Amino acid sequence: MTVQRQYTLPHCNLVLEGLSADANDPLSPLAVLMNAECHLPGATDATLSGGREFLDSLVAAVSRYGQQLLSGVPYPRATGSAPPMVEIKPGDLPYHHHLIVQQQPLGDRVNDVNALPPLDIQLTTVQFYDLMEAVDQLLADTQTLPDMKAQFQAVSRRLVRPTEPMTKRATPAALGAAALAAAGLALFFVPPPEFEPTRPESEASAPAAASAVPGEPPRTDGETSEAVAADGDSLDRLESAPAITDAATIALLQSDVTQRLQEAWADVPRPSGDLAYRMAVSEDGDILGYQYENDLALEEVDNTPLPQLTFVPVAGAEPVRERVAQFVATFTPDGEVRLEPTETPAETEEPETNASETDTSKAGTSEADAAELPTLEDKVTDSDRIRELNSDLYDSILAELEPLSANEDLRFRVRLTETGEVVGYEPVNAAAGLLVNETPLPNLVTTADSTANQADFQVVFTESGVLEVNPWDGWPQ
Amino acid sequence: MPVDSPPAPQPPLVIDTLANPGLPSDECPRRARIQLDLLLLAIEALDLGGSEAMLGTARDLGLEGLVKGRVHLWLLRGTNPMRRYSQRQPLNIEEAKALVIIICTLARRLTVVVRQLLVGYQQLADKQLSPEHHFRLADYLSRFRSHFRARMNPRRAGVIAYSSDEKLDELALELLQELLLCAGVLGPQRLWNSLFDGEVS
Repeated sequence: MTVQRQYTLPHCNLVLEGLSADANDPLSPLAVLMNAECHLPGATDATLSGGREFLDSLVAAVSRYGQQLLSGVPYPRATGSAPPMVEIKPGDLPYHHHLIVQQQPLGDRVNDVNALPPLDIQLTTVQFYDLMEAVDQLLADTQTLPDMKAQFQAVSRRLVRPTEPMTKRATPAALGAAALAAAGLALFFVPPPEFEPTRPESEASAPAAASAVPGEPPRTDGETSEAVAADGDSLDRLESAPAITDAATIALLQSDVTQRLQEAWADVPRPSGDLAYRMAVSEDGDILGYQYENDLALEEVDNTPLPQLTFVPVAGAEPVRERVAQFVATFTPDGEVRLEPTETPAETEEPETNASETDTSKAGTSEADAAELPTLEDKVTDSDRIRELNSDLYDSILAELEPLSANEDLRFRVRLTETGEVVGYEPVNAAAGLLVNETPLPNLVTTADSTANQADFQVVFTESGVLEVNPWDGWPQ
Repeated sequence: MPVDSPPAPQPPLVIDTLANPGLPSDECPRRARIQLDLLLLAIEALDLGGSEAMLGTARDLGLEGLVKGRVHLWLLRGTNPMRRYSQRQPLNIEEAKALVIIICTLARRLTVVVRQLLVGYQQLADKQLSPEHHFRLADYLSRFRSHFRARMNPRRAGVIAYSSDEKLDELALELLQELLLCAGVLGPQRLWNSLFDGEVS
């Protein structure tokens, strides 16, 4: 049975015709939609009509446009696809809307002969509202086309066209690129800064501290080249390095490096013969370079701690500017490490001391005294005498003692003759070697050479400024 | 079957007719908050007892749980960032739904007036006459202007855009058109979904 459903509003009349699903029930929904007609009195005399496709398209267009009017966000149509059968666009005047309907002759395919121009109907807002309301009533009506449901979907963020035009949005980016180009052009003419690797502060200050030791003769370039010439071959990189001439520093380095080599060499197999290396040591005690002196040394070099202990400089090709001391290190088959300076600093000092003031010359001799003391052969054995010597030494040192700048104890071994003359002294710890000239000891040396019976005493200048003197071998019983 | 009877009364749980949009948070986007407050402002300009009607509608529809009286309604509307006394607190989705329902219910009641005003404006525009020639329309526009200026913070950038009478009239007419579109059978759903245009992923 054919049924007709009609949705009537002042400016819109939507009529649907179709076959009812149940012929006996007048309220049963439409099973098949045969025709949909839309009259828009007041807007157009034409009747818009079509089948299900037309109705679907009309509903979709009205829904979409209604939402667009409410939100102000235009719904983007997929580009490239054919225009839908029904489309609504905003009009040129405000509150005018264009309903555009593609017309299609019935039963025929569209061709050039029978194609009709699309129908363009201008609607006011109220007329559009009536059209929308008719559609909404159809959608809400469950007894006409129950399968036709309202589909509401907010427009996705990705589909929304930005409100600013492309040129406006591109301006900041273009400005940025232009500024970068301009800056690049301007900086093109500025020469690149030259980078010189500098040593860290701590390393740089260490030689300065060491050179502050008084009594060290000023060095000249001539002397440096002399030292290097004496050195002859080897250690190319260190050739131009000035030599350390201070005997105390060398002694200190010698013991320090010996100890480190000995420790590092403890666990390796012993060589079959002596391994001799010439090595250069910086004032900090870093081994800057080494070279084998005999063939066995070359073969066994990996068994020595030298490769590990060698300080690898930042710029390998740079000649070393630091002052270095040269040693010959000998690793014996017994597991001992011996370190000997390659040259005696006293030799290079001699010309300098003549030109210097008397203080310096005194210091020069004191340095010779400060060198290692030979083993004592003829010891003072009289216990009373030792006690006397001890108290005399204490008094004489105290008489000339001035506050020291040391921040640790300074230990010295001081040798006296039986008559109480100071033969020599030797720093026991590193600080003592560096600060020996702040102590009264250099001025107390009277007889460098004496064959008389001698006694050794330990002299300690403690950090807190207390002087301690006692016999080296302990108090006699 | 012609449907000439008014739509069936809304069930108490009218809120459920509005589907949740796929928003990352439970808070309404900025544009939705502005839009809802402005629509309520337009209703107040149309109907002198508009603010009372809003509370009455909320009571009638069983929305007291969401719109708890005059002060709370004022707070909800204060989430509009254009307001003089703008609230920093967010407007959550359920509260926004209640406001949508209230707006659409009142719009439906005011359909006749809104239609008259829009038709009148259309006729004046066709004759190139200003809206002042239509008594009721001019009344609506001037009331909307004074409401807007009394409540919106003139220093906000969004408000500065409406500094002139013409701009405000334009806004008032736009809101009038939106109220008409809300008045339909599916008005709440349409308004609700339009609030999130361009906000959902």
